[in-house]
Amino acid sequence: MTHNSKLLNIEDLVLHFKTLQGPVQAVDGVNFSLDSNRAVVILGESGCGKSSLARAILRLLPRNAGTYSGHIYLNGNDIMTLPEDDFRQTIRWAAISMVPQAAMNSLNPVIRVGDQVAEPAIVHLGVSKADAISLVKKMFQHVGVPEDFINRYPFELSGGMRQRVAIAMALVTSPMLIILDEPTSALDVLTQANIFNVLKRLKKELGISFILITHDIATSSELADDVAVMYAGQIVEVGDTYRFFDHPLHPYSQKLMASVPRLHSDKEPEFIVGRPPSLINLPQGCRFADRCPARFEKCVQNPPVFEQDGRQVKCWLYA
Amino acid sequence: MSAESLTANTESAPAAKRGFGNSAAMRMVKYMGLRLLTMMVTITIGVYLTILIANMGGYVDTIMRNEIRDSTTQAILANPQFRNLTPEAKQELIQKKIASEEKRRGLDKPFAIRSVNYLRNALTLNLGRAMYMTSDHGSKEVRLIILERLPATLLLAGTSQLLLFFGSIFIALSLSRKYGSWFDKLTIALSPTSAVPPWFYGIFLILIFAAILKILPFGGLVDVPPPENSFDYGLSVLKHLILPATSVIISAIFLSIYNWRTFFLIFSSEDYVEVAKAKGLPPRDVERRYILRPTLPTIITNFALLVIALWTGFTITETVFVWPGLGITIYRAIGAYDTPVIVGSTIIYAYLLALTVFLLDFVYALVDPRVKVGSESSQ
Repeated sequence: MTHNSKLLNIEDLVLHFKTLQGPVQAVDGVNFSLDSNRAVVILGESGCGKSSLARAILRLLPRNAGTYSGHIYLNGNDIMTLPEDDFRQTIRWAAISMVPQAAMNSLNPVIRVGDQVAEPAIVHLGVSKADAISLVKKMFQHVGVPEDFINRYPFELSGGMRQRVAIAMALVTSPMLIILDEPTSALDVLTQANIFNVLKRLKKELGISFILITHDIATSSELADDVAVMYAGQIVEVGDTYRFFDHPLHPYSQKLMASVPRLHSDKEPEFIVGRPPSLINLPQGCRFADRCPARFEKCVQNPPVFEQDGRQVKCWLYA
Repeated sequence: MSAESLTANTESAPAAKRGFGNSAAMRMVKYMGLRLLTMMVTITIGVYLTILIANMGGYVDTIMRNEIRDSTTQAILANPQFRNLTPEAKQELIQKKIASEEKRRGLDKPFAIRSVNYLRNALTLNLGRAMYMTSDHGSKEVRLIILERLPATLLLAGTSQLLLFFGSIFIALSLSRKYGSWFDKLTIALSPTSAVPPWFYGIFLILIFAAILKILPFGGLVDVPPPENSFDYGLSVLKHLILPATSVIISAIFLSIYNWRTFFLIFSSEDYVEVAKAKGLPPRDVERRYILRPTLPTIITNFALLVIALWTGFTITETVFVWPGLGITIYRAIGAYDTPVIVGSTIIYAYLLALTVFLLDFVYALVDPRVKVGSESSQ
């Protein structure tokens, strides 16, 4: 693999959770890569392991984490092998930052937002408190938060403002990569559009890469260069946005795209019969086979990833 | 609080700042006044109930009357001075003496009226005189009886409870970091040991360290006779303190750690703690600013209530260790129906509790920006 030329290269990433019923295979052999100044959107249903993937990249493991293996290369260096303290100092927020799901609750209620945003700068850039605060002001300008909000507490901010503060917090150390975990799912469309405009501008101006995790296909198309579709803990298709939205390859992606409602269309939005498999008892072969309209004999075996004009798809149809 | 009032709060913030001077101060004074008033009502009711209960609803009067009659009769019958009197004259004398003694003790007035007098005296901290008990220096003043016992109680309860409180918070915090570890499981397994009261452990500790090993004293506050110079005195007290304090700590430590550990576990799974970890903050900072800081109001409340609970002491543990504290005194007072002592210690506890609750309101406003004193009541 040419993981040296890429910003981020993930190989065989596995994250399982221990439960009484058995291991939950939330992330099960994920491979994908990301160039610098690119944005990839990870699409998928709720519970397919998208957020666990984000946590696995930042090594934010919950208490019941089980198997955690694979390789994550950042600029060619395998960060999985780093000791905990080095990982904290050199990766978390220094290289990769995150806008968490439910950014509403991601701010400490009893600390002023300015101080919370300044914290990573003080820890990772080693700047003084005053310098950090002026940095925070700059970031607030970037994301469109009034400067005097630095002295406010999170409960004094509206949801949209808190979301912007969370984005400013992700930016403050100028990381190479920001993981956005459903950054706008709780917001109204106007605020969503606003925030995506901010993200687009940041990508252009600061050259940051993004991993955008969402199930909101429409807004994700605003920012993303590439699309990765996740199903039952695995990535089933990777491709560039342009061709993907036009013509998805994997039957699951096709169904997913067909489920997006369109204005003035005679066609009813489609849905996929059945439910995603439980991540505890996964089927032996293709994990989508049970719900797949194009299923055939081969599907009882686990499909490898096939290349198709620079796009990758994990489906026997493209063998 | 609804989202609407939150946004309203945000928007009116500049306006509120401008008019801060008068309206906020007024609101504050009004709130404090109201608060003090309701607390006074609560205290009055509580103390009155204590008076009723300590007097067994007036039945203590009957006990006292009988006692007066017995002792007066005995005294007159046994007195050689009155041997020559006729039985009728003796009887008359007895009745007169009883009446005067009952009047002296106030028993000539009905209990309902006296209970109100007791209440007034209690509320004004006019603790009065004990009925039977005396202080070690021979005084019958309730105030002196209590004050004399207070240092020993504060020493034992203070040392053990403060060690227990800070020790268990410290250990609990580190356990919450190592969820599911061997030590974590051990603590949970040992938490039922707190079902056993401290004096029970005390008996075993005395057996082991005093009777068998003979390295620590059986009980008491200091050696007999007490050492002359104050350094040796302190050392001796410390030596006597070890066993009672240890038994108090042993009997509560595991449950207390288990409690705090669960508390910290709940708060360390908040989203903002996760984010703080993701931000790459050193674990110490995460703990201090993201777990301890937001939970400070709860910790302070627990601490404040613990401090005033020191006042009551440990009744049976003090008895087992012959520790001259308040707990043992109150226990004796209850046994002897010595209502002034019972009511006296209760009223002080009630005042301490009310004062603490009153102050906590303001401490909350200091440590938690979401709490604004007085804003709730004015809406």
